Amino acid sequence: MNENKLKNLLCNADHDAGKPCPVKVDISAITRRAQRRRIYKIAYPAAAAAVLIFGISFWSLFCKNAEPVKEPIQLANNIEIKIKQLHESTDNVLNLIQEIRKQEQGQKRLNELEAELAAIPDPIKQVNEELDKTAFTLVYAADKMYKELNLTDSAVETYKRVIKLFPDNQWAEVARERLEEIKNRRNNNDSSKGESKWQQQNTLS
Amino acid sequence: MAERTGDVVVFEESSRSNEAFFESLIEQYSGDIALLANRLLGWPGEVEDITQDVFLAAFIGFKKFRHDCDIKSWLFTITINKCRTFRYKQLFHRRKIIKILDAESHPAADNKMLDDETFHKVRQAIKALPAKYREAVVLRYLQELEIEEVSRILGISVNTLHVRLSRARERLKNELKDIIS
Repeated sequence: MNENKLKNLLCNADHDAGKPCPVKVDISAITRRAQRRRIYKIAYPAAAAAVLIFGISFWSLFCKNAEPVKEPIQLANNIEIKIKQLHESTDNVLNLIQEIRKQEQGQKRLNELEAELAAIPDPIKQVNEELDKTAFTLVYAADKMYKELNLTDSAVETYKRVIKLFPDNQWAEVARERLEEIKNRRNNNDSSKGESKWQQQNTLS
Repeated sequence: MAERTGDVVVFEESSRSNEAFFESLIEQYSGDIALLANRLLGWPGEVEDITQDVFLAAFIGFKKFRHDCDIKSWLFTITINKCRTFRYKQLFHRRKIIKILDAESHPAADNKMLDDETFHKVRQAIKALPAKYREAVVLRYLQELEIEEVSRILGISVNTLHVRLSRARERLKNELKDIIS
């Protein structure tokens, strides 16, 4: 559908609606309307102002009745007393705030010290570790003497020293095991020597 | 500034007696203004209030009239503004609108019932357009004003007016698909 057809359709629809009712407009009606508007323009704000003034006066009157004006000196005294009370309450509040602040600072310092303390290592633990190391070194040296250098007597001495110096240490337990092992070995050697001597005697006889 | 038109000359001749001039103005243009208001407001029929408002505004504001267009265009501009205000106020008085719609929604029971219904739909479609499109359509197609005059009345450029008309046509075509097909 092109523009002209649409235009025709619109015009026909407009034509079908008919013309509006005949308008009766004359200069006197317009003047009257203008006057009416002018009156409204003045009347509305004036009415609003009147209502406002009436409301304020009524309210002030009501307030006067509700609270009669006191003597000025009495009023001043009352105000002074109230100011003193306010001062006192302010001082109290300030003291309270200072106390709370001190407590907070103390708590903060305490937390810092606790943190520092936690950072320091435990001396007993350190000593135990050192003892453990020493015992291990001795056992290690003794093992070397016993297994590699074949210095069994010196090894036995060292094991005994470990047991004597560190009786509750884990390496003392190891030293005991080693001593037991050496003892067993010596016994085995002695019995095997005895048997070989007996066999030699039997063969000779 | 546009050239001074014949109306201004008439005004200058009649300026000695403002009332007489206004009476001639009312006699000359009240019908056109009522017709335009009727179309812009969706054919409610009663547009006396709007027409009176327009002439009142013209009466008050005639001193401010700059004579850069003819009086008819100026009155049409006032009419458009008054119609916009009227429609805006109507948003707060939905009942009135519903009444108007009800009054319009009873087509006459005669032989032309089908046509009436079709035209009613067309009018409803125009009425449903947004104000800026409706004003352009009414002024251009129903009032049959020139493009330049319409753009002057609406205070927009010719290009903008063409865009508005084009969009309005698209909307109308969509709305009136059944009738067009």
